Amino acid sequence: MTLSGTAPNLRWAYMDHWRVESPQGPLSQYTSLQNFDVFVKQIAAVGFEAIETFDFHLPLIRELCGSLEGCREFLQERGVERVLSLFHAVMYDERKSAPHVRETHDQLFNYAKYIMSSSAGLGVENFIVMPAGLYYDVEPVTDEKIKACADIWSRIGKMTADFGVKTCCHHEFFCGIRSLDEIRKFYEWSDPKYVHFYCDTAQHVIAGVDPVALYIELHDRCGGFHFKDTHHVDRSEDYRRRPDAEIMAPTTPRWFWEMGTAEGLVDFPALMRAMKQYNYRGWVGVEHDKADVGAGNYPESTAIAGWYIKNVLRRIYA
Amino acid sequence: MSEEKAVSSQIRWGYAVNNWKPGFMGFARREEHERAFKVTSACGFEAIELNAGSGRWDPLGRPENIDINYGSAKGFLRQLNDWGIESIASTFYDPGQMSFEDLHHGLLPTRRDDHALIQRTAAIHAQFLGEVGATCLVVRPFPSYWKEGGLNAERMQIAAECWNRVAESSAALKIQTVLHVDALSALRSVAELETFLGLTSHHVGLALDTAELAIAGFDTLDLYRRFHDRVRHFHFKNALAIDSLQEFKLANAERALMQAGGARGVPRWFGELEHPDGVVNFPALMAALRERNYSGWVIVESDKGPPPAAAAVMSNGWYVQHVLSRI
Repeated sequence: MTLSGTAPNLRWAYMDHWRVESPQGPLSQYTSLQNFDVFVKQIAAVGFEAIETFDFHLPLIRELCGSLEGCREFLQERGVERVLSLFHAVMYDERKSAPHVRETHDQLFNYAKYIMSSSAGLGVENFIVMPAGLYYDVEPVTDEKIKACADIWSRIGKMTADFGVKTCCHHEFFCGIRSLDEIRKFYEWSDPKYVHFYCDTAQHVIAGVDPVALYIELHDRCGGFHFKDTHHVDRSEDYRRRPDAEIMAPTTPRWFWEMGTAEGLVDFPALMRAMKQYNYRGWVGVEHDKADVGAGNYPESTAIAGWYIKNVLRRIYA
Repeated sequence: MSEEKAVSSQIRWGYAVNNWKPGFMGFARREEHERAFKVTSACGFEAIELNAGSGRWDPLGRPENIDINYGSAKGFLRQLNDWGIESIASTFYDPGQMSFEDLHHGLLPTRRDDHALIQRTAAIHAQFLGEVGATCLVVRPFPSYWKEGGLNAERMQIAAECWNRVAESSAALKIQTVLHVDALSALRSVAELETFLGLTSHHVGLALDTAELAIAGFDTLDLYRRFHDRVRHFHFKNALAIDSLQEFKLANAERALMQAGGARGVPRWFGELEHPDGVVNFPALMAALRERNYSGWVIVESDKGPPPAAAAVMSNGWYVQHVLSRI
């Protein structure tokens, strides 16, 4: 609740890539209930009220807490309301699971349905997907391939809606649907009732797309956000570089940064003003993807982001 | 973002800068300060406690270093305000630390010859604290036990003279002088503390450090109940082990015991407030503070903790917001 007693327009969630250093190397919070306890309290301390995580963490969460309902209770006892979103982690493969290859659609659909049917109890609202495979697997990106992607996510979106979950598309800068033209076509050809836009600020900036303008254009399709920053625009086609653009690009060892660094390229205040203008209400996710590259660490990046929300963003729209 | 604030009407929460390990070649750059204090603010702490230090690589360690790096005391405070820190609560000053500026390897409050320099240095910090509207100069009243052995009447009297003078001149600047007894201190018993307080004026208060006292075998709750009218400052941190072998007597115990872990190789003496191996009962102590209507700063510390430094502040922030502030 706000100080005036009214419900806030925005609540803040934390997209989990968390690892902390230990004597045995990087350690996930899912290694023990004690480590999970520390993680949940640390993100709650800086103002986050939900977490977003990868769907491959479901078995770990279930084992740690005994059940997914038990996990939600565990979170709530510590000030975190729910697991808001599951990021659908699929290594797209043209032989069996690639959105632009129609022959693989049943397999994609069945796997997504399995995730939905096995995640009840956490309070999940969003099923976040990369809507196309890696750019070099999809190129040349044709209208037919974009239509195939639009069709499968419309079909999956209808299915997840039956579980009360929105299917949200998150366009990595190295994804087959990344340019403004490709993104526009995808949303034009997918079902607006079942396919939502998840605005990842850094990914769009790296891809040369203005996330504020894109949000304004797609605001009625927007299902949520990943607020993260970047210091670089991809000007040398790293997005199509094999085998990987995200951590192996020779130009850029670290693409993603927390909000509030001096070199950040995302105009978060402008985005907040646009969200206010279009009356966005709901959750906003904050993501620190590979914050530990170089000398960084997840706790510090997360607390800095919490500071930025409290001292900059909430003063614009809360 | 939750509206919850880790502050009550009388107890105010701050965090000690020593969490970020200032000193030679660490925590010297301005961007490190910015990130550290934003983390501190994000976790609900409204103030910081500085650590008196020495040399150009400890830019927050002496007021003249703060002037060089931030323009002035008030300029530093304004910068802290921009980073979300509302105030500077206090500075911790250990006269036993070496000084590049004054060319010594440590001073002893139990030696009259050292008093003038101790008082001059304390006055420099008190002047700064007065300028920024702080509350306390936290001092280490005695050297480590291993340096001179235990206290006797003469050494107590000499130390009392030292701190009475410091406290009197600090009080003129509206800064309270508070004595911080630690795990290695020459002061080893409640009786000695009682005697010493009897030798000092009402301007001299106590700062109770939960972990240091626990490691030395004191019961902080008992000390607070007994001396609450002199307690004007707290350091909250957990102790993960007790000095059961009395290794405070070891030569160079600061390094041999507190850093290297002593004969048992204790890996960590200090822990977060809710650490599962912690021996301090914070809810009980907090209840006692409420019962006695304590009004003042509680500075949370996590010095000597493992990296990343932000993690301890976050864990302690949660515990203050969700447990201690609700007592």
